[in-house]
Amino acid sequence: MEFNTQLLYAHDQILLAVMIFVIMLGMGASLTPDDFRAVIRKPRGVLIGFVSQFGIMPFLAFGLSIVLGLHPAFAIALILIGSLPGGTTSNMFTYFSRGSVALSISMTTASTLLALLMMPVILQVYTGIFTDQLTANMQATGAESTFVIPTGNIISSLILVLLPVAMGMILRRKSPEWAKTAEDTAGFVGILVILYLLLTAFTRHGKLFLQTPVEVYIGAVGIGLAGFLLGYWFSRLFGMYPIFQRAISLETGIQNGPVAFAVILLSFTEPVQSQMLWLAILYSTFIVISSSVITLYYRKKGRFDWDIYKNTQIHNRLFGKDYVTHYPEGFLPPRLVNDPSQGTIPVQKRNQ
Amino acid sequence: MYVYICFMLIQHSLNTSITQETKQQEVIINSTFMKHRINAENLAQLYKTAAERFGPLPAFAIRESALKWRPVSYSDLFEQGLNLATGLISLGVKARDHVGLFGDNRFEWILSDYGVQLCGAADVPRGRDVTDAELVYIINHAGIEVTFVETAQLQDRIISLKQELPALREIILLDPKATASSGVHKLEDVLEMGAMMRLDGDRQAEERIAGIKPDDLFTLIYTSGTTGQPKGVMLTHTNMTSQTINLPGFHNCNDRVLSVLPIWHIFERVIEMYTISFGGCTYYSSVQTLGEDMKNVEPTFMASAPRLWEKLHERIIRGVKASHPVRQILFHIAYFLSQQYKSSEYFFTDKYLKMNPQPWWKRAALMPFHAVRWLLVLPWYGFFNAAVLERIRLGAGGSLQATISGGGALPIHIDRFFNNVGIPVLEGYGMTETSPVISVRSLNNLVVGTVGPPVCDTEIKIVDPDTGDLLYPNASLPDKGRSQRGEIWVKGPQVMKGYYKNEELTRQTIADGWLKTGDLGVITHNDCLKILGRCKATIVLSSGENVEPEPIEMRLQQSQFIDQCMIVGQDQKFIGALIVPVLVEFQKSGIQAKTVEDLARNPEAMRVMRNEIRRMTSAANGFKSYEQIRDFRLLTSTFEVGNELTNLYKIKRHVIETKYPHVIGELFSNGMAKQQ
Repeated sequence: MEFNTQLLYAHDQILLAVMIFVIMLGMGASLTPDDFRAVIRKPRGVLIGFVSQFGIMPFLAFGLSIVLGLHPAFAIALILIGSLPGGTTSNMFTYFSRGSVALSISMTTASTLLALLMMPVILQVYTGIFTDQLTANMQATGAESTFVIPTGNIISSLILVLLPVAMGMILRRKSPEWAKTAEDTAGFVGILVILYLLLTAFTRHGKLFLQTPVEVYIGAVGIGLAGFLLGYWFSRLFGMYPIFQRAISLETGIQNGPVAFAVILLSFTEPVQSQMLWLAILYSTFIVISSSVITLYYRKKGRFDWDIYKNTQIHNRLFGKDYVTHYPEGFLPPRLVNDPSQGTIPVQKRNQ
Repeated sequence: MYVYICFMLIQHSLNTSITQETKQQEVIINSTFMKHRINAENLAQLYKTAAERFGPLPAFAIRESALKWRPVSYSDLFEQGLNLATGLISLGVKARDHVGLFGDNRFEWILSDYGVQLCGAADVPRGRDVTDAELVYIINHAGIEVTFVETAQLQDRIISLKQELPALREIILLDPKATASSGVHKLEDVLEMGAMMRLDGDRQAEERIAGIKPDDLFTLIYTSGTTGQPKGVMLTHTNMTSQTINLPGFHNCNDRVLSVLPIWHIFERVIEMYTISFGGCTYYSSVQTLGEDMKNVEPTFMASAPRLWEKLHERIIRGVKASHPVRQILFHIAYFLSQQYKSSEYFFTDKYLKMNPQPWWKRAALMPFHAVRWLLVLPWYGFFNAAVLERIRLGAGGSLQATISGGGALPIHIDRFFNNVGIPVLEGYGMTETSPVISVRSLNNLVVGTVGPPVCDTEIKIVDPDTGDLLYPNASLPDKGRSQRGEIWVKGPQVMKGYYKNEELTRQTIADGWLKTGDLGVITHNDCLKILGRCKATIVLSSGENVEPEPIEMRLQQSQFIDQCMIVGQDQKFIGALIVPVLVEFQKSGIQAKTVEDLARNPEAMRVMRNEIRRMTSAANGFKSYEQIRDFRLLTSTFEVGNELTNLYKIKRHVIETKYPHVIGELFSNGMAKQQ
């Protein structure tokens, strides 16, 4: 399917730019240098998350594109989405799913920085066959040019996106009050703009929803769900404690949508730009729904291990860091007793 | 298209998912968690089983500073309790003796209770604020030979009263820092004595535990009498253990319970016993440090009196008002959405205050409205619940699964507020005589405005206080007598054995196992109990003071200006008066007033009335400070026989209360301002 109309008008693009700025500023405002130090102090969870975010996700996106036989423009967009860093949304979902918010923040921090390096590499590795298809399409219509991934542009747009993050961090240093407000505003603005984009898409290009082939929907929904699932079991493979599993799972599935918008708008041109944007909008919409459902599920499932985690943590806070909580025999399921990553409660691990 | 539906769903699940589970699901949850809830025959057995089952887990935590608490494990506590019990036995405490326990919240209190239960005796508790007269009365009436006192000051008071306490033999001082007078034992000495004896193989405590019968007392609580002397309420082991088993809720040994109520109060005691039965840890906080402790302990459960919820509510509202204007608006939006959302949810689940029956067609007609509203609000509610209300909840630690309010009526706006911000408040109803819980809301049955259905194994009757006719359950009345107002009668395993050495009063209170509570109530159409007030005249102020209105009313009616009057103030901070004035007397003294309305608008007349009231109920006339009338309202019509008065010219208080709710409400809503 080809887009014969432009998806976004100039003023929409400005709006989108403002939104990206506000959201990234809010993201920066929620980060402290301590978060970066935490990554270095406890690299294990972040490393597993890294593999899951930049190893599994792009591969999934690639696999999905092939299996679903997506149009090359959509395929490139899906791979782009697969290689995105995590955003602050995942931190909030992690909080409500009783996962480790600290790990979620560490992963967001690390992946945002590493994306500078990883995204261009991943796009180069996986998009080869799709760019060839695009070039073939273009030449079939008589054009002379070939389609190449604009690596340089992608890097510079990523740097551009990281600027407000840095500004947010500075804001946090200067005025924590304002930083808090910026953080809150960001969440709200994000929701409003996505709603606005959807609404305009509805009113202006109502047919678009019908025209969009079903496999595009499957791809947009599937990439998130597959990310949740694989993130969860991949980290389980490395014996992560359930609260970390939930954090890694959500961080893997939930990508930083605004970065996708920025990269697409700044680095790609028509004829692929509108299609790529459309997929990004669909992804951003469906991910909110699917992560809400997943969060709901995790919240229920994680109630017990979270209570234990919380209780031991508070015991250590109030009774001294050497205090060991001994639960009655048979109260803890074997998985929690033998969990090699009881490192959540480091002192307890040492004493046992 | 509502993108955010899921989002909201999350939020929704946050606090209400449990409410939405069906009864069946609750049973399943219960069975997995109940594995670890103890079902014991008596408290000594409960303590013993808790030590075996939860051994090294903390049973109680004592605050030393904000971030430094001292845990005492179940096994330690039990061991110390056995030592103390052995020490007590060697001091001559026999099985079924009454041991005094005078003091307020501290670890040594619960340890003393352990000691007393483990030697098969019963304790007679009272706080530090006990008066000398009460001390003498209680110690002599209960036949106390051995008593614990918390502080050196209490010890000195008892010693100075020794002349009047012929039977009292031994005093044990709890406070380890205080110095004991001669002849007074220190707790640690008794403990050590017991420990030595146990080392030598003394096993008398075990024999005592085995000898406890279900019908033995575990405590004898003296309630401040409304008239005359305090009454000794005899509560048995079965009374208390039935409560630990029958209370709804699924907690386990991960739970942290914050404790602020006076420990000798039966409401606090039942919560502590309940906590022991599931292996949770009780953290002793205090009213002064509560805010800080909530954040550090992050309690999952707590019980408190309405006053505390009011204070917490004030603090939250103050916090909101002090915040950035944008945040204030966000809070109000969030609160509004939550209100809309919850009221539709209550409609679907049939958990709203259902005072009248609802025919099926009416329900069907309203259904689409609620369904549409619910769907419209859901996504926005979800977002605001996560972004705004969660912050409010974090102010209370963020982990509260439920809170219980008892010991007085919770004002409805406070009740709604906490449930709307997502801190489920479960209001309960009970009295010392029922050890204490009669009914309580559970998370599955959270009907705001009621005190929930009766707890397991408990029956409730509603009886006409004037005629004695059975109103509920009564098959001959429509809806079996639901929505009929009357006195609440209770029958169940928690009902006391009786008043100690007062069979006459016991017979008046309990007949055929049915205890007359003296409270007016009604059963709603979703089978919850709603409390309407007292049918006895006694007014209980929010400070806990009991006021007998009759003497004050009789005194007031002696005034030439006052024809009839009624004192009001149940659950309020002070008492007020509804007065039918004598118009002629005012006119005689030169005040221009044709009607009572004129009189009420005349500042001079009001001043005269105010002075008159002040004069009649002055301290010089023998009225205590809480018996002073702070404000009053004039009524235009006199009390008539058959309406407001009985044939014997006695006031029907509940009739007047239902006739003038707005007058009473207004009296107390701006009464504070006039309080000078």
